Amino acid sequence: MDILMNGFGLVLNIDTILVILAAALFGIFVGAVPGLTATMAVALLVPLTFYMDTIPAIAAIVTTSAMAIFAGDIPGTYLNIPGTPASAAYVGESHALAKKGRAREVLGINLVCSVFGGIFGTVVLIVVAQSLAEVALKFSAFEYFWLAVLGLSCSIFISVGSRTKAFLSLLFGILLSTVGLDMMSGAPRFTFGVPDLMAGINFIPVMIGMFALNELMNYYGSRSEKKNLNIIDNDSVFKNVPRHVKRYWRNMLRGSSIGTMIGALPGAGADIAAWIAYGVGKGRSKESAKYGTGHIEGIVDASSANNSGLSGAWVPALVFGIPGDSITAIVIGVLYMKGMNPGPTIFMDGTGMIYALFIVFILANLMMLPIGYIAIRLSKFFILTPSRILMPIILCFCIVGAFAINNSIVDIWLMLIVGLVAYVLAVNDFPMAPAILGLVLGKVVENNFMSAMLRTGGDLTSFFARPISAGLGIAVIILWCSPLLLKAYRYQQRKSGSAC
Amino acid sequence: MRDVYAGLGFIIAGVVTIITAQQFPTLPSLQYGPSLFPSLIGGGFCIGGAVLAFSALWQRKKVFAHDVQGTPETAKPESEKLNLALILPPLAIVFYILASDYIGALLSMIIIMLVLMLVRKTKPYIAVTTSIIVSWAIYFIFSRYLLIPLPQGSLLGGSLPWIS
Repeated sequence: MDILMNGFGLVLNIDTILVILAAALFGIFVGAVPGLTATMAVALLVPLTFYMDTIPAIAAIVTTSAMAIFAGDIPGTYLNIPGTPASAAYVGESHALAKKGRAREVLGINLVCSVFGGIFGTVVLIVVAQSLAEVALKFSAFEYFWLAVLGLSCSIFISVGSRTKAFLSLLFGILLSTVGLDMMSGAPRFTFGVPDLMAGINFIPVMIGMFALNELMNYYGSRSEKKNLNIIDNDSVFKNVPRHVKRYWRNMLRGSSIGTMIGALPGAGADIAAWIAYGVGKGRSKESAKYGTGHIEGIVDASSANNSGLSGAWVPALVFGIPGDSITAIVIGVLYMKGMNPGPTIFMDGTGMIYALFIVFILANLMMLPIGYIAIRLSKFFILTPSRILMPIILCFCIVGAFAINNSIVDIWLMLIVGLVAYVLAVNDFPMAPAILGLVLGKVVENNFMSAMLRTGGDLTSFFARPISAGLGIAVIILWCSPLLLKAYRYQQRKSGSAC
Repeated sequence: MRDVYAGLGFIIAGVVTIITAQQFPTLPSLQYGPSLFPSLIGGGFCIGGAVLAFSALWQRKKVFAHDVQGTPETAKPESEKLNLALILPPLAIVFYILASDYIGALLSMIIIMLVLMLVRKTKPYIAVTTSIIVSWAIYFIFSRYLLIPLPQGSLLGGSLPWIS
């Protein structure tokens, strides 16, 4: 009980509440401006969190990401342009309804589903994380090695598009993680004589380069900046919400469950969760013909899923230190900067830190209701903010933010180089999430492999000598073989089909 | 064709990574030295790059065969053509790195914002006002509130009374 009270004490103070409020406004703004993603918002926020205590820092990130994911629905509804990729799955439904004069009603149901999904994911996090942490306490270098490999493998198999590109993107991230002094021998690797690189690549400039500079180049590379707003929105925000909730509560539950599960898989974020929930919802709907023409049911599943996916991603991040998506990858970096090691011990430190984190999650999601309501009323202001003024400001924030971490010009160069590489990769349809996971998990894989080998004198079979380690190893091998197995299964089915 | 070039790029990157990794020192007491992971990554680049390039060539061959049968090749729409303005953000960053020590972070940011806004046809009075106010706000927050030693610039001798 004392620990719980400590947790409340860490959150319910004026500094943290103010940070949450400011982060909420920032998240709403970034999410509502088309082209700015939730990950970009978090990447821009990280230099500021560097100067905060741990709980306000995490609170700022949690609140910003949750708000941005919801606010991404605003331009999606009014302009048919998703504010963040997580809104893309159901943007057609939202906009079709908005054209019928139901824009605020759509955003009202979006808001309620987002809050429900976020809290659902948090409850799962609270219930599951504690018991998983007790299992994780038994883990050693062997298990962590396989767990990290499993996470990296998932990021390839789950990502949208070409798996070869996801694999190469992942390797790019792992290569970045090898820069600096080698853990075992102390030999410098890929430092090119630059002293600032000896400690390894600072991941914040990399994040800013990958997500912000990449978007900025996309913006300046595009020729048009059209924002035609011809939607009438005199309807009420919440008037019809109880009716929709009563009718579609099963969809909310199903979307939230799918979102939490998908979010917990490394490499799959809120956007993939929303697409899958939308697909499942359409497949199981009695009115699937109405999908695509402006159907509330199509919004409920996916809108619940994207916010629950955000919370779900925290399960592996907090329990094992394995990020579930790009945002939790950033958070893990922030936790390390703050001297906290994400992993099972975070649940047993006795300072109430973990309870404070849970309270922050619930608070951030609950605050979405009033702030989201205000944002819906002010929608037109957000979405008509001219990008031509906003983008140069963001660029200056990027430069100063990258510099601020170590007060080093090298970090600005790093941001620039990684941003350019990320842009080239992104325009060639290489996904960025595997690269981020590679950067964060690359060190985990290598360090655990090396310490396991040191312990066993280089005996590779030791990775299958312990039951949990062997189980995880077999899971990884099955995952790697799954495309071949799937092909063989389909071939067999086709063969038996043609024989009939 | 872009995938073919990307694949070749990764193969080259893989070879360079492996060659560089072989130069890392090894300790006789360690079975696996500091070159192990970089070499594996280099190998992965080569294999992945080759798969990407070959599958792109295979696709291209199939599309070409389809085109020969009578499907006309469509021209790229105007919006998809490369706009050179995309190099403005990287150029602005290089400008900041080179100029900030001399003219200071504040002036560098004002120039960057102003130019980028004007390029996108922002009204000049809005561009000038916004650049000055926002640059000063960023400078103030980072240097005064977060105590980041942003360059003040040798040109002004760090003597501006309102930014010290």
